[in-house]
Amino acid sequence: MKTFAAIDVGSYELAMKIFEFSGKDKMREIDHIRHRIDLGTETYATGKLSYDKVEELSRVLKEYKKIMESYKADAYKAYGTSAIREMKNSGIIRDQIEQRTGINIDVLSNSEQRFLDYKSIASKGEEFDKILEKGTVIVDIGGGSIQISLFDKGTLTTTQNLKLGVLRLRERLNRINARPAQTEELLEEIDDAQLSVLDKFYLKDKKIENIILVDDYLSRYLMQKREESGTPGYISGKEYQTLMEFLRSSNARDIAFKMGISEENAQLLFISAVLLNRIITMTGAELIWAPGVTLCDGIAYEYAQQQKMVISSHDFDKDILDCAIQISKRYMGSRKRAETLESLTMTIFDSTKKLHGLGKRERLYLQIAAILHDCGKYISMVNLGECSYRIIMATEIIGLSHLEREIVANVVKFNHEEFLYYEALSRESSLDRQSYLTVAKLTAILRIANGLDRSHKQKFKDVKALLKDRELILTVDTKEDITLEKGLFADRAQFFEEVFSVQPVIRQKRGL
Amino acid sequence: MGEKKNLYKNPEYYTNREMSWVLFNHRVLSEARDKNIPLFERLKFLSITASNLDEFFMIRVASLKDMVNAGYTKKDIAGMTAKEQLEKLGEQIHGLVDLQYSTYNRSLLPLLEQNGLHVVKKHEQLSKEDAAYLDKYFESNVYPVLTPMAVDSSRPFPLIRNKSLNLGALVTKKEGKGELEFATVQVPSVLPRIVEIPGENRKVILLEEIIERNIHKLFLNYDIVCVHPFRIMRNADLTIEEDEAADLLKEIEKQLKKRQWGEAIRLEVEEGIDKRLLKMLKKELAIGSEAVYAIDGPLDLTFLMKMYGLEGFDKLKAKKYTPQPVPKLPAGEDIFAAIREGDILLHHPYQTFTPVVDFIRQAAKDPDVLAIKQTLYRVSGNSPIIAALAQAAENGKQVSVLVELKARFDEENNIVWARMLEKAGCHVIYGLVGLKTHSKITLVVRREEDGIRRYVHLGTGNYNDATAKLYTDVGLLTCSEAIGEDATAVFNMLSGYSEPLHWNKLSLAPLWLKDKFLYLIGRERDAALAGKPARIIAKMNSLCDADVIAALYEAAAAGVKIDLIVRGICCLKVGIPGISENISVRSIVGNFLEHSRIFYFENDGNDEIYCASADWMPRNLERRVEILFPVEKEELKAELLHILQNQLKDTVKAHLLTPEGTYEKVDRRGKETFNSQDAFCKEATAMAAESKETENNRVFIPETHHE
Repeated sequence: MKTFAAIDVGSYELAMKIFEFSGKDKMREIDHIRHRIDLGTETYATGKLSYDKVEELSRVLKEYKKIMESYKADAYKAYGTSAIREMKNSGIIRDQIEQRTGINIDVLSNSEQRFLDYKSIASKGEEFDKILEKGTVIVDIGGGSIQISLFDKGTLTTTQNLKLGVLRLRERLNRINARPAQTEELLEEIDDAQLSVLDKFYLKDKKIENIILVDDYLSRYLMQKREESGTPGYISGKEYQTLMEFLRSSNARDIAFKMGISEENAQLLFISAVLLNRIITMTGAELIWAPGVTLCDGIAYEYAQQQKMVISSHDFDKDILDCAIQISKRYMGSRKRAETLESLTMTIFDSTKKLHGLGKRERLYLQIAAILHDCGKYISMVNLGECSYRIIMATEIIGLSHLEREIVANVVKFNHEEFLYYEALSRESSLDRQSYLTVAKLTAILRIANGLDRSHKQKFKDVKALLKDRELILTVDTKEDITLEKGLFADRAQFFEEVFSVQPVIRQKRGL
Repeated sequence: MGEKKNLYKNPEYYTNREMSWVLFNHRVLSEARDKNIPLFERLKFLSITASNLDEFFMIRVASLKDMVNAGYTKKDIAGMTAKEQLEKLGEQIHGLVDLQYSTYNRSLLPLLEQNGLHVVKKHEQLSKEDAAYLDKYFESNVYPVLTPMAVDSSRPFPLIRNKSLNLGALVTKKEGKGELEFATVQVPSVLPRIVEIPGENRKVILLEEIIERNIHKLFLNYDIVCVHPFRIMRNADLTIEEDEAADLLKEIEKQLKKRQWGEAIRLEVEEGIDKRLLKMLKKELAIGSEAVYAIDGPLDLTFLMKMYGLEGFDKLKAKKYTPQPVPKLPAGEDIFAAIREGDILLHHPYQTFTPVVDFIRQAAKDPDVLAIKQTLYRVSGNSPIIAALAQAAENGKQVSVLVELKARFDEENNIVWARMLEKAGCHVIYGLVGLKTHSKITLVVRREEDGIRRYVHLGTGNYNDATAKLYTDVGLLTCSEAIGEDATAVFNMLSGYSEPLHWNKLSLAPLWLKDKFLYLIGRERDAALAGKPARIIAKMNSLCDADVIAALYEAAAAGVKIDLIVRGICCLKVGIPGISENISVRSIVGNFLEHSRIFYFENDGNDEIYCASADWMPRNLERRVEILFPVEKEELKAELLHILQNQLKDTVKAHLLTPEGTYEKVDRRGKETFNSQDAFCKEATAMAAESKETENNRVFIPETHHE
């Protein structure tokens, strides 16, 4: 049995959950402590955090440390989200806090954060799987932005970040100085541009039946109020309209009273509700589920996965790959060729484990790189490497951190372009030496795979790779003529040789 | 709907809370006047009426004076301004005091005499030997601690301490021109008020009489013209009373600086006091005639509690009841194992409070316990709970204690042991800004084989092992996951963290509790309107929240049958045609102080029953941290319902509120005589005996041969 503390240093709240893991798949929340602290307003405006806020943050983190000690927690993980991310001197402040409290805060990129939110929903297990059987949209409403992820038959087809967070919208509304009665209308005008694009590109023609809501205001009410009748956390589209009617016809005070929240939060709840209502209208969803999870649940779930304590039925790597496939599709990448490359790279990767010493996560990078190897083609056939790199760097891939995305982008780039060595590369990139080596190794593999499929005719469907002494023997079972591949292979293989000191060799085995 | 609500809030439908309080003290006084009660118990009740009245003056009358001084004209729920209330109260309290002393003089004193205890009323009545004995007693014991003070042009009028008993005298200088001067001496509170005079028959005299007899020894250069005892009550409480509305509090706060500190609000003097002396006192204390109480007898009757303690009169006292062991928790039992078997209900003082103390004691020593968290409101002087908490902290447990410093009159006491806990390593929270923490909850977090398990005690009474022998309260010991989660959330909130995302079982004041009660009452109303049976039984100490009362009226008008058991103040009126004909109110004043709060709702056959730390008073629902908890195990629900039903059956100690607004003893004709408190004592004793018997029977019985 293990006890774990998950800390979320959010934009307006510092939260900690204590979890207990027992048995193979039991994850139980035993405490949830929240402290309101507005870090967002300052860092969004000035990029820095005032002395007072650092003080307060340190004081509460120290208390949290005591609390986790009182539960005899085995481990903890603290993540900072946008407020910490957007701090110019985040490194200094985080170090200061660590020195004072002993708590190290890691920074999450948006895509990592959303992935954790997503994992937090997945931590609900069966309920999650069941809802995903039908077309589902996850609406994750944060302070600064909202994330909309679309699932089709259990497959993640896209995820988009829109700068329509509740705090951001409230700030805009306040600037316009809108009357309460106008709020809904104005909100619709503000969000329309972004939402209609979303609708046009992704939602149209998809049958969406369920919406999963992650937010801090409405979910709480849905979790609570529904306890009187029905299942807590669930509300039908129809019931939701009744709720909207109530919200429209009540002032902030009544809402606050009825829902047991502060008046300030009543406004945020209303914004949240309007956003959700827009999406319900767009999709025609019939069921809304608010699992009432927070980032902390995702942090704990991730920890449990790392500790191999939770065997999830859900394949998160597949979500990431699905996402990459959707991106490739969007830039008209060749699915067939990507499949060949995927299979080739995986074969080579798996048979050269002793050489590269890389793990499961790096295997995933390589696979994504194979899928996205030609996305830049969409823009320019000549500048394929650079364009691919730019596209990948500009596209969110859920579940990948910024650094991981950069690794993938570099592998794709150097597949086409001359490899830049660390000394040159580090001048324009933040990659550390370790990541650089990963890039080099994965590039070497992708390059020979690419070489094997030179003609793009998928002659090398069935390749066996065998490491023998200082040679990597690639046995191809094909009756086709592979003169072209053989001829140009030496060139491709050179880099591999440089990286691994092993020479790849092609052997053709003519089947009967 | 709005209009209808106003209908139920018509001031005519409400009794002023102060007047209702006077009625309550009359009920206590009626116990002192009840011939069926042992004589010394009656002394005790009379003493209680006196200390009640003192507290009432210091808190309520003082508060009303504040309102008048602040020019606050808002009316109370019964439509009375503060000034009107004070005027009316004046009359009522004078009547109450008259009755107190006629009870003392006409009933109790003669009975004491008959039963062999002579109270010497005046020192002039002493025999020579007795007088000599007392003079000697005065010189060796009393004289050394007295501080006589005389007033003249060079010495200002001395500060007369709040609630102290004093002797005031008019004196003239022996070599002077016969000018009257004022002199005073405090009757020392460190000495016993009652002094027993040795001899064949038992005789007692009050300390002030001894001093009065010897007063010339204190003012040697003066001639004594007259000597009379007097006593004052001051508005010395600088904290603002939480009972009042928020706007009033603001108003008074503004006025606070203007308020004359320690303004005298009551002056008690001996009847027949020298007019010149009285005039002088009134002038110096700046007090009007309406606040002067001329007393026919000894001032400050609380000495009767000491008289109760005199040895040798056991036959004139009620038989002492020993709280019984709880069958599910025999002594030495692993309390956590017992709770895991199922929730346990405790009914004090019929059942002993020891399990609650043991709960914390065992937790302090248990190596698996990680943390203990508790709220403390009023604890006893030498509290075993405090000792156990300190021990736990020393054993390395995380101990968090919320100590309510704002608990009336207990402040100094609280600070001392709070510091002690801090020294032992406990995390002590000194209350919350603007709120009194009145909830009674203890959480023990234990790490067990299959994970964290939380054990919770929730109660209606304070964690005070002394009062738990006198107050009737209920408590619940549980390790229910849902309540455990809520308890953790409660302590997170009390530590200053945000409220939880949702509550499982508990309802907290000041944020949610009132709504919950209104919801529960409203649900019965709806049931009644739908033609279903609907019923509410609620037991509490006081009922004066206008919103709750209006909801009760509305429910009763819809046909809900409502039985209320309200010990003290009740602002609700019964028998208002079309409004409260379905409501009955009874008050039980007995040997034990009724203190538990139990709420029963029929809920269309799925009855729900709750216990709480809160009364239906605005201060409980709006300005305190209080907890309402459901009791859900069927057999425990039955026990609670049984408590309520027994109290509804009571024909001995129950007074029924009449439509005229008076309280009358239950008409016993055709009913069996039933004293609910006695019945609970008997039941608890029987239950304990029965479980002991089964314990003794723990012999294995071998199976006999089968055919």
